[in-house]
Amino acid sequence: MRSRFPVALAASTGACALALGAAAPAMAAPSAEQDTAMVSVVHGIPGMTVDVYANGDELLSGFEPGTVTEPQSLKAGSYDIQIFEAGQGPDGKPALEKTVEVGEGDAATVAAHLGADGTPQLTAFADDVSKVDAGKGRLTVRHIAAAPAVDVRAGGQPVFTGLTNPDEDSAVVDAGTVDADVVLAGTDTVAIGPAEVNVAEGAGTVVYAWGSAEDKNLALATQKFSGMDSMPKAVHAGGDGAAVSANSSAWAPGWAAAGGVVAVAGVLAARRFAGKRG
Amino acid sequence: MAVAVLAAVTAVVLGVLWLAQGPQRDDSPADFGAAPTAAAPGDAGRTPGTAPPSSAAEPAAVRQAAPARVLVPGVGLDAQVEGVGVTPRGDMTVPDDPAVAGWYRYGPAPGSPEGSAVLVGHLDSETGDLGEFAALRDVRAGDTVEVRRDGAEPVVYRVTARTTVPKDELPPSAFRRTGPPVLTLITCAPPFEPERGGYTANLVLTAEPVDALQAP
Repeated sequence: MRSRFPVALAASTGACALALGAAAPAMAAPSAEQDTAMVSVVHGIPGMTVDVYANGDELLSGFEPGTVTEPQSLKAGSYDIQIFEAGQGPDGKPALEKTVEVGEGDAATVAAHLGADGTPQLTAFADDVSKVDAGKGRLTVRHIAAAPAVDVRAGGQPVFTGLTNPDEDSAVVDAGTVDADVVLAGTDTVAIGPAEVNVAEGAGTVVYAWGSAEDKNLALATQKFSGMDSMPKAVHAGGDGAAVSANSSAWAPGWAAAGGVVAVAGVLAARRFAGKRG
Repeated sequence: MAVAVLAAVTAVVLGVLWLAQGPQRDDSPADFGAAPTAAAPGDAGRTPGTAPPSSAAEPAAVRQAAPARVLVPGVGLDAQVEGVGVTPRGDMTVPDDPAVAGWYRYGPAPGSPEGSAVLVGHLDSETGDLGEFAALRDVRAGDTVEVRRDGAEPVVYRVTARTTVPKDELPPSAFRRTGPPVLTLITCAPPFEPERGGYTANLVLTAEPVDALQAP
């Protein structure tokens, strides 16, 4: 598998270009990062190992169903994506083809998958990689299976309901392991799972429901995005003031002598002052 | 505004009183040094959503041994360590027992090849006991910090920086997950203002690995 691949996967229906996000700010200063996008590819078509080409160049070879690539940095722009059964490209007839456009700063995942009716297609998802609060993770579920509407449950409770192919739903939740399953919408009929899903802290966890209900090969595939962590709001590591009390004279003068007391008090007072005026 | 000015004056006066009061400890250190904040070479281009390079893509919990005990021999600090996260309000969890330190388990572990491993401990407790981390007050530049780990060799750090900051101005670099490896020790610091919830500042010590080769 090559480490760089251009972005777009496309459907054989041809010309529908996907815009994966807003255009980059025109005022932005030029830099190495600003003309690139982060792109991942997921393969959700059962029973077919594929090669992926972009603008005629092979990007991925021997790409197995149920796998997800790591995010790759790609130059922003338009990519003609072709998917061939392994070894059939690039001169044969692609199984899927589509043009995808990715803008500067976008994060996107292109999925080769079955539509609800079982027809192979390509779908581009915008990946939300914005920060989450400390202790949290972002859980996203994407329905790319040949199956009807589903609910996704965690610990038996529906968290995402009425999800249809090729849509997604997302929530920021407490980090930790979730016991998840997928049921037919509005029922207790389990279609996939149960499965343990680890919602990593400060990260994005994307779960794909893929495969075919008719062929009884529905499955989950998981994708991770890191670097979305935030620091805790504060560290409250004090108690009743014993360390600075008159009964602890060995401590109080030391703190003062350290110079931090007056300085910090001054800063705090100054900010309170500023706050009153603001 | 008058209140603010009064508060400022009071704070300064209290500080002076502390200075003038009781046996003077001239040997107590003031803030010193500066914590590394720059991204590591090759890390500059990392953006949210980007996988860390190579093996760093593995979950931190898998490749990092959890800390079990922290010792600063120079000031007699010796505390058990337990993993902690955040409270429902989003603050870092601090073990109730002032004799126990907390390791921020969402971030790097001590001995990690990158990022800041954070240990926190109470300065004092609600019941009047001094915390083990109260000894951090007397730590100086160059002091050794040893962290013993579950299932791995101890890692040794040397203190390089100390800063005292208002509680809501903790330096973000203390919780960074990439960049140069450091150990960050945090406790509370005066001023103590009960009407504002107690201590209003944090003492933050930064220590760097004594021998980079000791990092896994």
